[in-house]
Amino acid sequence: MDLLIKLQKIDRRIIYALVVVVLMLPLIFHPAGHPTLVTPEVHDAFDVIDQVPKDKMVILSSAWGPSTEYENGPQTAALMHHMLLKGIRFGIVSWDPQGAQLTYNIGNNLQTELHKQYGVDWVHFGYKVLIEAALRGIGTNLPKTMETDMNGTRLTDLSKLPVMKGIRDSRDIGAVVEISASGTLEGTMTYMTQPNNLPLLYCPTAVMSVEAYRYLDSRQLKGMLNSAVGAAQYETLIGLSSFTTPASVTTWALSTAHIFIIVLILLGNLGYFASKKAARRQGGEANND
Amino acid sequence: MTEIAGWLARNSTSIIVWCGALCTFAIYSILYAENKFYRLFEHVYIGLASGYGVYIAWRDVLGPKWWIPMRFGGEWYWIFAAVAGSMFYFMYSQKHVWISRVIFGFFMGVTAGGMFRGFYEVYFPQIGSSMKSLAPGANGWWDTANALVFYVLLFSAMTYFFFSFEHKHPAVAATARAGRWFLMIGFGAIFGATVMGRLTLLIGRLNFLLNDWCLQEVVPDWKSIYFKIIVGLVVVALIGLIVNSIARPKQKNSTSSGTEE
Repeated sequence: MDLLIKLQKIDRRIIYALVVVVLMLPLIFHPAGHPTLVTPEVHDAFDVIDQVPKDKMVILSSAWGPSTEYENGPQTAALMHHMLLKGIRFGIVSWDPQGAQLTYNIGNNLQTELHKQYGVDWVHFGYKVLIEAALRGIGTNLPKTMETDMNGTRLTDLSKLPVMKGIRDSRDIGAVVEISASGTLEGTMTYMTQPNNLPLLYCPTAVMSVEAYRYLDSRQLKGMLNSAVGAAQYETLIGLSSFTTPASVTTWALSTAHIFIIVLILLGNLGYFASKKAARRQGGEANND
Repeated sequence: MTEIAGWLARNSTSIIVWCGALCTFAIYSILYAENKFYRLFEHVYIGLASGYGVYIAWRDVLGPKWWIPMRFGGEWYWIFAAVAGSMFYFMYSQKHVWISRVIFGFFMGVTAGGMFRGFYEVYFPQIGSSMKSLAPGANGWWDTANALVFYVLLFSAMTYFFFSFEHKHPAVAATARAGRWFLMIGFGAIFGATVMGRLTLLIGRLNFLLNDWCLQEVVPDWKSIYFKIIVGLVVVALIGLIVNSIARPKQKNSTSSGTEE
């Protein structure tokens, strides 16, 4: 009882340190296993990408930067991995200046690993300002709206960017994926996917994911990858379950940290009731005196 | 000079990793206490992000889409974009503030128009999907049960936000109270997801510190016994801190608890 009451007064910095220790265990031992449970929204997202015809392109609309790299990065990597393996063309547009370089790096690392080629299998449209005209333009005239790729090559130069062959407007887009750390979903929905009847997938940070379920229910979203956990589940579906990836390590670390936090909440509540009981007992003794 | 450039080129990865580690430690030092080290790096971050943003905005947007077409492509009319853009800055002049209001008004109108469109595209399908069938679907009676749960939650939450008359009737009051509880559960789910998101970001930084910095830069042979000893010592030190904290609570805490008692 006394211990529980004393735990109530523990320095918050010790709790921070304990959380760090708990989180570090999976990072040190690198367990390879991925989640065996794959949620329906991740399954749906996989199915949408898997069924995109080879003559169409998937647009990765990326609105994230370094501050959420460890949530949105694994999502981007998992989707790119799937599309590069399957031979599905994709183009990335970044609405964040720093995110443009990060997504480009992810693509570059994966193309080396999977022996693919920039300009042939995928393209990066670079950083663009997120305005309604740009979102609408992707559906009406993609090459004219994006004009150049990340390196300044014109999208109409098919000798350097054969990946753009036959890609003109929304009829040549197989799906749109919104990978976002901010409230960009509704703009994409309003100006790009709904008017052009394009399937939209969503990869939000965990904070934003709860509010997105209503769009899944109304089928405005065809699938969703919830933070790094969603990315780990997606990796299970593309056959990476026996490999150690950033998403799988994050999932393990999250699981241990969540168990630890639940234990702390229980201890905190027990301590609270114990201290109340002790205060009542002391009050009673004082009255008796 | 050439030697320094060569050294920098050879060790660029290590320099980047060490800078990253230093920045991470500086920013997380706020968790211990407010300090000048943290403030310095906070300003460094803001400056870097702003500078990089300006550079990218020029390289990817203003340069190729505005300056080059206007200066070299004969598209002189792009000068009007600069005129419209500079109108914003009149908000700093008391005498000519009306000029900024013109451009603000223009963008407010455009945004309001867009919101109408957004309402139609985003929320109308939500209203439609709220009309769920109670008949058994592909999953049999589970679909009916799901639809019932949905309707109970929907009507309860809507009743809670119905402010046109006072919730006097017991049925209305009870439904509104239930709605408030359901909303609280929803907020709890959002908070839980927030914890998960924040932990993920922390995991990312710890992963960087441990694997990219500590193991690759500080301890080249991470499988060595020394590393395990260091980790063990850190854990023991932390346990010691906890025991010490429980045995001797801070003076401030004991004083405040004494006041409560």
